[in-house]
Amino acid sequence: MPPFEQDKFENGRKRERWLSIFFLLLAGILIALPSRGQEQVATALRATVLSPFLLLQESLVQTRIRAEEVADLQARLDAAAATLAAQSTLREENERLRELLALRERAGPSFRSASVLRSGIRGSESMLLLDVGGREGVEVNDPVVSAQGLVGIIREVGSGRSVAMDWTHPDFRVSVMTLDGEAFGLVEPRSGAFREEDRLILTGVPYYTTLDPGTALVTSGRGSVYPRGILVGTVQELAATEAGWARSYWLEPAVRPFGVNQVLVLTGDPARGLGEGEGLEGLWVEPEPEPGDTLSAPTEQSNPEEGFNPDELPTPDEPGEPDDLPISNEPSDPNEPDATEDPDGLGAPSSSNGGRR
Amino acid sequence: MRPDWGYRAILVALPILHFTLHVGLGLERGAPDLLAVGLLLLARELRMGTAAGVGFVLGLLEDAFSLLAFGANALACTVLGIVGSRSRDLFVGESVLFLVSYLFLGTWLRGALHWLLAGDEVRSDAALSLLVNAPVDAAYATAVGVALLFVTGAWRTEPRG
Repeated sequence: MPPFEQDKFENGRKRERWLSIFFLLLAGILIALPSRGQEQVATALRATVLSPFLLLQESLVQTRIRAEEVADLQARLDAAAATLAAQSTLREENERLRELLALRERAGPSFRSASVLRSGIRGSESMLLLDVGGREGVEVNDPVVSAQGLVGIIREVGSGRSVAMDWTHPDFRVSVMTLDGEAFGLVEPRSGAFREEDRLILTGVPYYTTLDPGTALVTSGRGSVYPRGILVGTVQELAATEAGWARSYWLEPAVRPFGVNQVLVLTGDPARGLGEGEGLEGLWVEPEPEPGDTLSAPTEQSNPEEGFNPDELPTPDEPGEPDDLPISNEPSDPNEPDATEDPDGLGAPSSSNGGRR
Repeated sequence: MRPDWGYRAILVALPILHFTLHVGLGLERGAPDLLAVGLLLLARELRMGTAAGVGFVLGLLEDAFSLLAFGANALACTVLGIVGSRSRDLFVGESVLFLVSYLFLGTWLRGALHWLLAGDEVRSDAALSLLVNAPVDAAYATAVGVALLFVTGAWRTEPRG
């Protein structure tokens, strides 16, 4: 190496050495700086070179906080929704109980209020477990009603529990009539693809008796199970006709059993407390003021979907009078089924069992 | 001097990644000491004075978050830069074994220097710091640093340039 280059190399090394010493001294000075000076240097660095990293962390922290706040808010929202839902359930239950209370007060002591218990297991559809039983005077074949209408009938009775079947049960049958008594028939269930699609069908309506959609149908009271006047459903549409013989209609049930939580059980003799031919139709629908004017004229009924309205309670003279249930069809009408013996007009057994087959 | 700009870019990116992990993401000790790894590798590419300056700056940036031991990182990194630069004169070192040993010892040295220079408020038990924490941190940083170099292809065993 030439002397010039060697000198240059040595000078470079010396410069690097002094530079290193300089930085070492500078670092030592930093350590020896008073706290105030150290803070100023640190603050300046954080505010300039390191600010992007700090901003990144701030944004992440804010994001995390927002996420936690969202989770917290979501939890609070869920809690509030749950509270509201619980209150809504209580309110609905309260309203149902009030309706049932009014209905019970109106109907008399023979109605026992009951809560519906559901097992929820497969195969328990169409069955209602009630928290009333033999102690409360409940017996087999007692009707089960709600503020909207007929729910079903008691099948089994224990001391404090009873099992009822609702109208979706395949064995369910009930003899019904229009409010004006123009038409009688037998109602039975028809299963749909889903439980919500279950419907009732009215069969055995005389061929020349047409029923308009919306016509309310109540229990006819024939037999010894269902008292007259319990709302069963309303006519939806014509289902089928048997030429020259009878018609059948699809009905919109007055009660959807899967939504029922509170019911009333009519205990004792269905006719007890009721006068001769007296019914309960005034509890659910307003009786026809002038029944039997025409065969096919649509009758103005209270909307059964609205349920029982205590304000619409009939006066004692209004419901249940024998004159309220005239048979408008002429007895000589060949299409008129023998309502006494064969209300459904299909040759079925008489409704001595309350319309159930 | 190695003319591999990708390698140098990785060396520059390591301190940035270090601050991103430690400060930006707030991982603290969960993140490896990539500052030491970057400084050690960079120091071998630089002259002693320059490496000392780089070490001083990087250490000073760390000291911005270390008011209880302000300057300790700057001095430790300055020393580390000097040592790293001088190691080039002592060891040629292109093997993986040298790389691992160099990074491990250098990172451990940084921890030891910081422990030595830090005040009593920061300084913990010597055995725990120098024989447990510092080696573990050094191993962690070495593993991540070596992995990064190999994954990115920045490290090659054959002579560069």
